[in-house]
Amino acid sequence: MRSDERVFLLGEDIGHFGGAFGVTAGLYEEFGAGRVIDTPIAEEGFVGAAIGAAWQGERPVVELQFADFASCPFDMIVNVAAKTHWRSGIAVPIVIRAPNGGGVRGGPFHASSPEGWFIGVPGLKVVCPGTIEDAYGLLRSAIEDDDPVMFFEHKGLYRRLKGAKPREETRTPLGRARIAKSGSAATVITYGAGVELALGLEHDVEVLDLRTLWPFDREAVLESVGRTSRALVLQEAPRSAGVAGHILALLAAEAFELLDAPPAVLAPPDTPVPFAPELEDAYLPSAATLTCAIEDLLAY
Amino acid sequence: MPTDARLELFRLMLLQRTFEERTSALYRQGRISGSLYDGLGQEAVAAAAGLALEDGDVVAPLNRELATHFARGVTVADAFRNFLGRGDGPTFGRDGNMHFGVPARGVFPLVSMLGNLCPVVVGAALAFKRRGEPRVALTFLGEGAFSVGDTHEGLNLAAVWHVPAVFILQSNGYSYSTPSSGQMVNTNLAERIQGGWSIPAVRIDGTDALLAFETIKAAVESARAGEGPQAVECVTLRGHGHAAHDDASYVPAELRETFAGRDPIERLEAQLGSEADAVRRSVVEEIAAGLAEAEASPAPDPAAMEHGVYAQPL
Repeated sequence: MRSDERVFLLGEDIGHFGGAFGVTAGLYEEFGAGRVIDTPIAEEGFVGAAIGAAWQGERPVVELQFADFASCPFDMIVNVAAKTHWRSGIAVPIVIRAPNGGGVRGGPFHASSPEGWFIGVPGLKVVCPGTIEDAYGLLRSAIEDDDPVMFFEHKGLYRRLKGAKPREETRTPLGRARIAKSGSAATVITYGAGVELALGLEHDVEVLDLRTLWPFDREAVLESVGRTSRALVLQEAPRSAGVAGHILALLAAEAFELLDAPPAVLAPPDTPVPFAPELEDAYLPSAATLTCAIEDLLAY
Repeated sequence: MPTDARLELFRLMLLQRTFEERTSALYRQGRISGSLYDGLGQEAVAAAAGLALEDGDVVAPLNRELATHFARGVTVADAFRNFLGRGDGPTFGRDGNMHFGVPARGVFPLVSMLGNLCPVVVGAALAFKRRGEPRVALTFLGEGAFSVGDTHEGLNLAAVWHVPAVFILQSNGYSYSTPSSGQMVNTNLAERIQGGWSIPAVRIDGTDALLAFETIKAAVESARAGEGPQAVECVTLRGHGHAAHDDASYVPAELRETFAGRDPIERLEAQLGSEADAVRRSVVEEIAAGLAEAEASPAPDPAAMEHGVYAQPL
């Protein structure tokens, strides 16, 4: 916001209150009500307004209070933001930030990982950082990008990740995965909070942090799996609703002969996110279930 | 109103009417694919709104506002290119009929989902307000859009943010085959906008081109002057069905009777005298030349279909 006057924020309670998760704390005080705009509770309306402002040369950044509420402006995102450049040449440079993920006892409407709703939509870019450096670097790149970007932030990482503030020139390129840890026995393909979980494994596995979920880095996936010959996709989105299906399709079509084992998926079951601790703990991937899944994969 | 402006209003209306008579024939001949919409009886609203805007203003027309495009300087040839699905048209053959915008002319392309364009123009107006630019963003809403949440969210945002947006309500009696009474209880949209969102709104006869122009122009200038969003409800009767396949047999004869003698083009022409004849001749020529130009345009290339999905491909 300091470097580009065109950047302004729209969202619920992002002004003086600083946002439901405190992400915009201090910005209202520094930039004022003209650039940090508290909105009525109207996601379809203010995402539409962001599109209109972007049409007129601005770089709006929208905050959804929870990623679950991406259903409300879905029409604006998939029909207006995503299709406009292709059919008219008008670019729509908007960023929609959306806290996803569970572990906070949020239940079916405050803990979802709905990135799968947007993966595969032509014209959209979908990103989800797994580190502090990428949270900053991807956000800067997303704001500078000329296309609509869905920017998922795992709400568990807001508190769990601690570290120094990245340097201002930090940029994480969109569309590029990162090898978070080198290894040779298998590749764990993941993103967001999955990165932290996969880095906890003691096995000799490579951890590939996708960072951009759509369009994802096909070359990086094929390159890593080509070396390790075994792949496990770890995601917090339900098994059938995220990036895993796309990765498995890629591996089946283009890495079939390189694989020593059927590619595996560790993901929650195909249910909404449950509330009770006993249920949510069983629902979410954990160090224990990840260890089991890796050992099964390595033993195949 | 100066004679030149009245003639221009007449020309724009006639251009829409003549263009749509031509596309109707082309559609029946199978030369236009998909579906076909026209604005018979509503041309005054489209022309007046287009003419009320200044160069730097922006607009998001719907599918009965062809004259608005022409007022913005969109060419007849480009409009035909879109209907014919040509590769060098405004949507490169990727979208059809009235679904087009011309970025250089400040026209946002129509989206089919009713109400979507309402928040979009509010956002454009917000950008103008933020930058202190004396520009206005305008769009149209029909009765059908008044049943959609986007419209209510957009009107509310416009009022809360006090932005220079103008809403033209096209009260043409029907949403597809459903009469306004099947969409809402209070069909006086101006009253609802004024009462519900405190947005100044007036209700006028949308078949009176001069009245439409003066009223919309005043609303546009109020918005430009910093008086916040404005609305004008234009009451008409949709002349044809929802689209070319719909014969509108459900419209009662008594309702049609109330609009007898209120064709907007004939009403204005009666006040113009012999100068109208020259306009009629020039419009016929412009339509013929534009169609010939569009028909000579290349078909879209399937090999280029994936170009432009992203403004910045990864």
